Amino acid sequence: MRRLFVKSQRRPKMSATLKPYLSAVRASLTAAMCLENFESQVVERHNKPEVEVKSSKELLLTPVTVSRNEKERILIESSINSIRVSIAIKQADEIEKILCKKFMRFMMQRAEHFFILRRKPIEGYDISFLITNFHTEQMYKHKLVDFVIQFMEEIDKEISEMKISLNARARIVAEEFLKNF
Amino acid sequence: MILLEIKNRIIEETLLHRFNSPKPESIDITVADFDGVLYHISNPDSDKGKIRVSISLKFYSDLKAHGAEELIQKFYGDYAVTPEDGYDISLQFDYENLPANKEEWAEKAALLKCKCFASVFHKYFQLQRDGKQDATAIIHYRDRETMYVSAQKDRVTVIFSTIFTDDDDIIIGKVFMQEFKEGRRGSGTAPQVLFSHAEPPAELQGTDALTGQNVGYITFVLFPRSFKDEAAADKTVNLIHTFRDYLHYHIKCSKAYLHCRMRVRTAALLKILNRARPEIKTTEKKTISGRTFARK
Repeated sequence: MRRLFVKSQRRPKMSATLKPYLSAVRASLTAAMCLENFESQVVERHNKPEVEVKSSKELLLTPVTVSRNEKERILIESSINSIRVSIAIKQADEIEKILCKKFMRFMMQRAEHFFILRRKPIEGYDISFLITNFHTEQMYKHKLVDFVIQFMEEIDKEISEMKISLNARARIVAEEFLKNF
Repeated sequence: MILLEIKNRIIEETLLHRFNSPKPESIDITVADFDGVLYHISNPDSDKGKIRVSISLKFYSDLKAHGAEELIQKFYGDYAVTPEDGYDISLQFDYENLPANKEEWAEKAALLKCKCFASVFHKYFQLQRDGKQDATAIIHYRDRETMYVSAQKDRVTVIFSTIFTDDDDIIIGKVFMQEFKEGRRGSGTAPQVLFSHAEPPAELQGTDALTGQNVGYITFVLFPRSFKDEAAADKTVNLIHTFRDYLHYHIKCSKAYLHCRMRVRTAALLKILNRARPEIKTTEKKTISGRTFARK
């Protein structure tokens, strides 16, 4: 019994908290993705995502934050016809920070292909998605949720893989140079 | 290709081609190399029978002070001639009177830049062997980047200052330098490498060394075993003088690699997103008699 306890203690904390984090995000997103067409109350024949224009208080819902820890969290802001999902990605050190910055920039420059990606993240977060009622009408809602979840998983994985490969490369480069002395 | 070639391949191949051609050909090409070095291969006075290789280095005056001229004279012998206008060193080959071992001389000519650098190192290696000391040699090998060489009682230190033009380069550079610091463990003969960021090391106090967030200083501590004989010294010089280019080259390579990865990963994510779109069914519609019709 004692040995079992020690073993479970030693397991990396990350993977233990990742699953509940992602399932909480999934549940919150599914609940939030309840959108309907809503035309602007201010300008005739305008139809804008209310979460962005914030034209009236009664159209907005209370934002929800799901956090795994201080650095990794997700903010879901909902309104009658759109939701905005912002993700803060884990950045443990300088390298992860620049890798994350580069990667997010790279994706956001291709926002027109990623229909739901916002060109700029909202402050305090690394990347934002804007999902409107038109998106949910054209695409399967549950698959959109799947995408966000998968996105969160893959980004973490990719950044740590990139970091490892950068370190490996640096090591080989240094060894090769110094070996020749 | 992890290590950079020290010789200039364009020079070597061009010369060899001319040396081996059945009749003299006219030539006039300008070739660039690392550290703002320019080569010029031409026929002096439009005489096809002669081939001249000239090199221009922005920092030749720095090298001259440390005996670059004597070393070039010694290494190239009679082939070194009065420099062409606007260039620092010229070698001249006569088509009618080519050296017996053409390959060797083509290679030697391609090593011109390397030999210019070598003079400084050889001078300080000798100073250390003789137990003498001299003021630190300062070579401004690029516009704002400098190399310092000095001889102490038991070692020769070479310090490079380098500028990272991109903020991200500093961070990637730090990763590389950390490995250089630790890389010594893998090889007993490797020199000690130190890295300092933003502030110059203590040895450079009182010089015009730059400070700033994007400046890095790399120190190589060379003990006598690195230059105990001619062969070892040459090897050390060849490696050390390409260090700056080597580091920056690999920083750029890693960035390119990371970019490729991001591209692949982005494409994969896009595929996942596109799965959310319901597929438009394109089943053929038939009439009751079994005929199909195309909607136009």
